[in-house]
Amino acid sequence: MSMALAGFLQLAVVAPPAGGLLLAIIAPVLAGLATLLLPRAAVTARVVLAGAGPALAFVLVLWHLGAHGVAGHTPPPESHHASITHVADTSGTDDLASQVIESSLSHASDAGRLAAPPQGTAVIEWVPDLDLNLAFLADGLGGFFALLVAGIGVLIVLYARGYFGGATEQARADLFRFYPTLGFFASAMLGVVLADYTLLTLVFWELTSISSFLLIGWNRYDKAALKLAKQAFFTTGLGGMFLLGGIGLLGYHTGHWRWSELLQHANDLDWSGGTLKAAFLLMFVGAASKSAQWPLHYWLPGAMAAPTPVSAYLHSATMVKAGVFLVGRMLPLFVLPGEGVGVDIWPGLITWIGAITMLYGGVTAVNQHDLKRIFAYTTVSQLGLLMAMYGLAGFDFDHAGHVVAAAIDLDITQIANHAFYKAPLFITAGAIGHYLSRSLPDLHGAFYKFPAICATMLLAGYALAAGPGTVSFQAKELFLYAIYHAANGRPWLWVILAMTIATAACNVAIFVRLLTTLLGLPGSMGKADHDSAHDDDHGHGEDGHDHHHAPEPGLGGALIWLPAVPLVALQYIGGLAPGVWDRLFGRFERFGYYFDHGVPSLLYAITHPGVPLYASGVAIVLGVVLGLSKLLRGQHIDPHDAIYPGVEAASVGLGRGLFAVLQNGSLRVYLTVVLIALMTCLSAAAWHDPGMIAPIGAEAARAFELPLGVIVGLLIVITALLLPVFSSRIVRVLMLGSCGFTVVAMYVVYQAPDLALTQLMVEIIGVLLFVLVLRLLPEPPQGERALPVGKLWRAGLGLVVGLAFGWITLVCAHAQPEALLGEWFSQYSYHGPAMIDAAGEKTGYERGGGGKNVVNVILVDFRGFDTLGEISVLGLAALGVWSMLPGRRRELCGEPPAQANASSSDPSTAEATLS
Amino acid sequence: MTFVMALCVTACVGVSIYLLLGRDLKGVAMGVFLLGHGANLSIMAMSGSPVLPAENATAAESLKAAPILGAHVPSPALANMVDPLPQALILTAIVIGFAVMGFLLTLLIITNRSTGTLVVDRLANEPVSTTRTDTRAEPFLPSGTPS
Repeated sequence: MSMALAGFLQLAVVAPPAGGLLLAIIAPVLAGLATLLLPRAAVTARVVLAGAGPALAFVLVLWHLGAHGVAGHTPPPESHHASITHVADTSGTDDLASQVIESSLSHASDAGRLAAPPQGTAVIEWVPDLDLNLAFLADGLGGFFALLVAGIGVLIVLYARGYFGGATEQARADLFRFYPTLGFFASAMLGVVLADYTLLTLVFWELTSISSFLLIGWNRYDKAALKLAKQAFFTTGLGGMFLLGGIGLLGYHTGHWRWSELLQHANDLDWSGGTLKAAFLLMFVGAASKSAQWPLHYWLPGAMAAPTPVSAYLHSATMVKAGVFLVGRMLPLFVLPGEGVGVDIWPGLITWIGAITMLYGGVTAVNQHDLKRIFAYTTVSQLGLLMAMYGLAGFDFDHAGHVVAAAIDLDITQIANHAFYKAPLFITAGAIGHYLSRSLPDLHGAFYKFPAICATMLLAGYALAAGPGTVSFQAKELFLYAIYHAANGRPWLWVILAMTIATAACNVAIFVRLLTTLLGLPGSMGKADHDSAHDDDHGHGEDGHDHHHAPEPGLGGALIWLPAVPLVALQYIGGLAPGVWDRLFGRFERFGYYFDHGVPSLLYAITHPGVPLYASGVAIVLGVVLGLSKLLRGQHIDPHDAIYPGVEAASVGLGRGLFAVLQNGSLRVYLTVVLIALMTCLSAAAWHDPGMIAPIGAEAARAFELPLGVIVGLLIVITALLLPVFSSRIVRVLMLGSCGFTVVAMYVVYQAPDLALTQLMVEIIGVLLFVLVLRLLPEPPQGERALPVGKLWRAGLGLVVGLAFGWITLVCAHAQPEALLGEWFSQYSYHGPAMIDAAGEKTGYERGGGGKNVVNVILVDFRGFDTLGEISVLGLAALGVWSMLPGRRRELCGEPPAQANASSSDPSTAEATLS
Repeated sequence: MTFVMALCVTACVGVSIYLLLGRDLKGVAMGVFLLGHGANLSIMAMSGSPVLPAENATAAESLKAAPILGAHVPSPALANMVDPLPQALILTAIVIGFAVMGFLLTLLIITNRSTGTLVVDRLANEPVSTTRTDTRAEPFLPSGTPS
């Protein structure tokens, strides 16, 4: 018993249970759905209930991490600490970067990887055959993201209450609809970051796309918003398809379908061949589309059509980071620190795409007036920076004969930094837009009207500018260090450094303009620019939320900016007290090569000047100059905005063109296409197997073995060929009839009396019916005869298809099967198998069909159900005829419908008599 | 014998395709019947020739027996008797073909009554072209969206 318990406990240590995390994932959507049960007027209860979902998720993830630890996290070796401390202590005036290179050289053995491969949770089976089960991976990256999603989720629930209001009927309806959708998103996003099975990640990934679509198209009556929602959905959804391809390739090539297994086997993957490289490329396209990397970034500014709570949550802090998250997930898999890069295109591709995105987003952001668009482009820019950070991680470099580990440090701090200032910026932008305007030139002096909101926005904006005192400053320093390290021996990476400085300057410029405008200082985006700007304000598919609301009193009104405060506070805690920051977030960090003891303090950075610090200084000076200058003050129209509409118009146009060609409504064209395809397949078959030609000669030699058959056959051929020759329809019907009667004769030749009798009946009735029906139908219009060319074409196609069918008949007839089913049927038609007693004497027969006409026995006995089906068809056809001929029915109204049915039921009765 | 049957199949199917590709619906209906004949004959031919193999043939009988057990069929072996199974299949096919014929002729009458024409191209073009114009106007707009 105690052994079993010990074993269980050990198992629990090896694989933490999955239930807690599963509950954490579904908690937000359950809470969101539960709010639907509340009456619409119960606003406070609704907010509390909706917020309870992400709050519960937060607590559960925290509990899981507390109980089972951060997966894969092992404290760095003591010696490592010591050497760093030692180097730090004895550092002179050398710049920090070269010291830490030295320090990592001193323990090059464990510089490769600090963290052990993480361990996933136990498995709850879902679809084992597809390698799609429920298991979770709460490592540093996943666990941190989960806390981020859940924590900001709570704040956004509160903010939505302030943003939508709670007093009017419209506000209550909005909240009623909003919270379930938001909960849906929060659950999907938690799933993405916690899933251990690769396919499970994909499932949640697509769910986030769907929820994003629902939230961007929140205003269902705004066609522009709907278009933008579609644009975002298709862009990220198609990216998801790429991700599926990559995951599939990865899974089939490696045989592992769990991130944790993949990471454990990262060192013994088979890198030969291009499979893993292709898998990486596909997955990166998926990640890049989700994280709005150039040139697919256009959907993110478009997604600002969503209500601001959505922008603050999905499109800045969480969902758009899913791509960054995925790349961070792949990093330990595709980049093997100290041993070279598994995928050699990793650093070049990701770094450059990220850097281009970063610079383009930064420059475009300066050139906007709408606050949400400004922040959207800075989001694009920052996502590019995060991508570039992971790209740089692929560079390992040779230093004095040692391969030094990849250039990445404290990636979690970078990600957290962005979320902690961007979400507050959006929250306050929504708030100020709610009361005044979202257009920056309209906000001249707004600080004096709404000091709390504007102060929060400016504090967050200071972090956007990476000002000293915020964790953003240190994060920027860390990024610059990474470039500085990676550029050691790669001079072209200095270009990236220049791009980073330019981007940072743009961010500083944005802050300067925010500051001057809100405070009404000189150099602001003054009223001068206002007139040209205002008309465009509503032209970008904004969320349609009415501006110029009166401020709502009390806590409900304050909720429109208050949720931003804790996030901004975290920025300054990180900046001013990095020790506290490290206690909070240090346990999630996976990479700490140079700064493995945590985020460097501001003082440390300033007292150890180097290229990164100088770069920051240059960026700040340039940024202030740019912010105060008259440059880049217009409203840049992003040319990439035309990509999606262009692609959509092209594909819809192509589809319409193909439809017009392929589905032109002409039965003759359809039939021709089908027949030509059939002929092509048959030709291919004959080409493949020349033995299919041989039966023609063999059977032709035996053609004249039965003179009577030849005569009847000739009659069939002649009557059939004469049919289209005559134009009079009565003659045609008679020809059809004669053909049928000669077929009857052929059945007689073939010793098939039942067939002959039945066909005879059917033929007589058929000819009569045809003649009767033709009387009711018009003659074909004489003036519109088909062209001779069309006739020739028809005749040619008819000849080819006819010959093909004749040939198939010969091939089939020539086959010599091992046994014929007919043999069995005739054997047991009358008797069953013989019964043999113990002495070997035949004592009788088992039960057989009991009939001597084998065909009839087959029909009514061996294949009785078949015949039942046949009779049903006949009955249905009779019903159809009856129901389709209302006129005829009216004529027969007085009498029972026997007469009309008689013709249809004749063959069945005929057959019944035959059987 | 099978070769003759193959020729019959060729003639029936060929003419039926020619009629099916025509512009007149009545011709199409005839083509359907003829196609049925072609298919039945093809199945029949696949069961093999009804001519007795030379070693079993007698002066009186040169054909295999019909699939009816009796005094003159000593053993139910397919060496001397034609295969009953294709016959059973064809019998089913004939009856269903007849049902289809009745249905088709009724459809002809109905079509003629409601549209006044039996020319395939005209029938095909009119209704489809109207729907297509509708689709072109608003390809993706969900119905019921207020504008």
